[in-house]
Amino acid sequence: MIIVKNLKRFYGTGANTVKALDGVTFEIKEGEIVAIMGASGSGKTTLLRILALLDDATEGVYTIQGLEVSSLPESERSYYRLTEVGYVFQDYALINEMSAAENVYVLSLMEGKSKKDSYETALEALAKVGLKDKHARIPDELSGGEKQRVAIARAIAKKPHILFADEPCANLDTTNSRQVLEVFKELNEKYGQTIVMVTHEPWHIEYVDRVITLKDGIIISDEREKTHPSS
Amino acid sequence: MINDIKVGALIAYCSIKRGNKKTLAFIVFVLSLIFLNLVFLPSMIGGLSGMFTGFMQDYPYGDIVIEPGGDNTYINNADNVLQIVRAVNGVRAATKRLDAAASIEHKQKVVGSTITGILPAEEYDISRYPYIISEGDFLGELSRDEIIIGAMLVEGYFGSEIYDNLGQVREGSLVDVTYSNGVKRTYKVKGIMEGTFEVVDLNALVHYKEIEDVYGLNGTEATRVVVRINKQGTEDIVKEKIISAGVKEPAFTWADKSDKILRQAMQSIGAINVMSKFVSLVVGAALILIIIYINVLNRKKEIGILKAVGITPGSIVLSYAFLSMFYVLMGIFVGLILYFTLMLYFQANPFRMYESIKIRPEIDYLFLIQNILTMLVLSVIAGILPAWMVSKESILKAIWGR
Repeated sequence: MIIVKNLKRFYGTGANTVKALDGVTFEIKEGEIVAIMGASGSGKTTLLRILALLDDATEGVYTIQGLEVSSLPESERSYYRLTEVGYVFQDYALINEMSAAENVYVLSLMEGKSKKDSYETALEALAKVGLKDKHARIPDELSGGEKQRVAIARAIAKKPHILFADEPCANLDTTNSRQVLEVFKELNEKYGQTIVMVTHEPWHIEYVDRVITLKDGIIISDEREKTHPSS
Repeated sequence: MINDIKVGALIAYCSIKRGNKKTLAFIVFVLSLIFLNLVFLPSMIGGLSGMFTGFMQDYPYGDIVIEPGGDNTYINNADNVLQIVRAVNGVRAATKRLDAAASIEHKQKVVGSTITGILPAEEYDISRYPYIISEGDFLGELSRDEIIIGAMLVEGYFGSEIYDNLGQVREGSLVDVTYSNGVKRTYKVKGIMEGTFEVVDLNALVHYKEIEDVYGLNGTEATRVVVRINKQGTEDIVKEKIISAGVKEPAFTWADKSDKILRQAMQSIGAINVMSKFVSLVVGAALILIIIYINVLNRKKEIGILKAVGITPGSIVLSYAFLSMFYVLMGIFVGLILYFTLMLYFQANPFRMYESIKIRPEIDYLFLIQNILTMLVLSVIAGILPAWMVSKESILKAIWGR
């Protein structure tokens, strides 16, 4: 599904070069839930942003379903982000002037769905995260957990093949965090979605199939199903 | 493209519906002032220009004036000329006048003046003389021993202190007139005319027949044939038609006849007007661009988020074009309310120049439409340009500033 070969991301030049990623290589199979872990500054968020086509790699090759997406022009990357990839931001990244439904609805509209279908899709996605009754509220009228669930609804409404989540529980308490992770798990089980999640919480690995750990921009471990609840 | 428009419209709609209302009001207010600045000063200058134009047309020259050719003092076949002129397509009315130099005396006060012999009934369609009588009445067809005196020749009227005047002349006063050929006549003052324009207020009017008698003319002479046309702006075309119709005497438009100083003044006013419009337009364009640019910068993160979730840059750019058009339309709407309020105020309370010259701003609807369209085009550019610049930035830079 995802093949990453020798991915590098450097910031700055010369002596000031910071190697955020320094030659990362791995594969993720379809339907896997993968956690990317590591200390702060290890390169996990950088890796996720490159995988989600929000940033460019300095070097390396990155393919999704056989398509080398790292070299796609911006217009195609935009289309790919819209149709194939869902991204959940750590700080929700909702549009404050749009209601919960509109934050979700806008993507379906962009995909070319009718107004009615888009709205139904949005309500369906909000129902999945338990927020159907709050569809008309704007982000300022929602709690942190609710905002994050709207962000997840936005990411899953279009049923993307791959869902990327950057510390989706960073601003949530344990109860809300569990709710979010349960949603991920359910999506994975029901729709076979591939989920790649950056986290620093050790207990989150209960919900994943595999843990890739980074340190100073390189992979120091890649463990499968060790601590998965089903194992 | 349809999806881009739909999404762009949704983003703009949400932004207007749930955006900060105080900011919206402020933006609309500033834009309304920009619009007002674009249209108000040119309206005032238009009023000033229209006033001068009106003076020349309404009193001495009409729209077109026909004068004696060569060294002739008179147009000798004035009735024939009138007949030809009145048959020309585009001519609304025409009359003949006789001008004479004379001195007017009242109680030992003497002033030199031009006395114009007019056909009173015809002047109602030609000039504003019948409508500017501030005391007494205008001449009638039987007014043979009566005179209309210009206000600046009468003590107490505007301008009389600058020029020699006849003292306390009032309706019914008797004045003695000595014409350039030495003939003396006594006239009763039938009225005082006040046009707040020297060419009018320093002169006097008598019946055409009076001048004819005084100078022993045979009834077909005139020093001027004054023509009014149906449609302003076609003076040159109608003048050519008059010449083509067989009028041998030289014909001039009011603009041809305006003296050099006035023509230069009009040209200067025109130049100031063009400059004022240009500067207002540049300032307006810059301000719209700045307002929208600041707005876009404040929403830079939002643009980054929209891009990150897959909204196309085209939709984002369109949303700002819609938003900008909405701001500008609201600004134009409020600006029009302010503009017409000011127009109403200044129609009722005109600007005063030299105390008695009143300048009323002119409403030029074509100019208003031009400015509305200009503002709308500017709004689209002002919306698209900054949004396009920001949408070209990397997502990470737009969202997180790096």
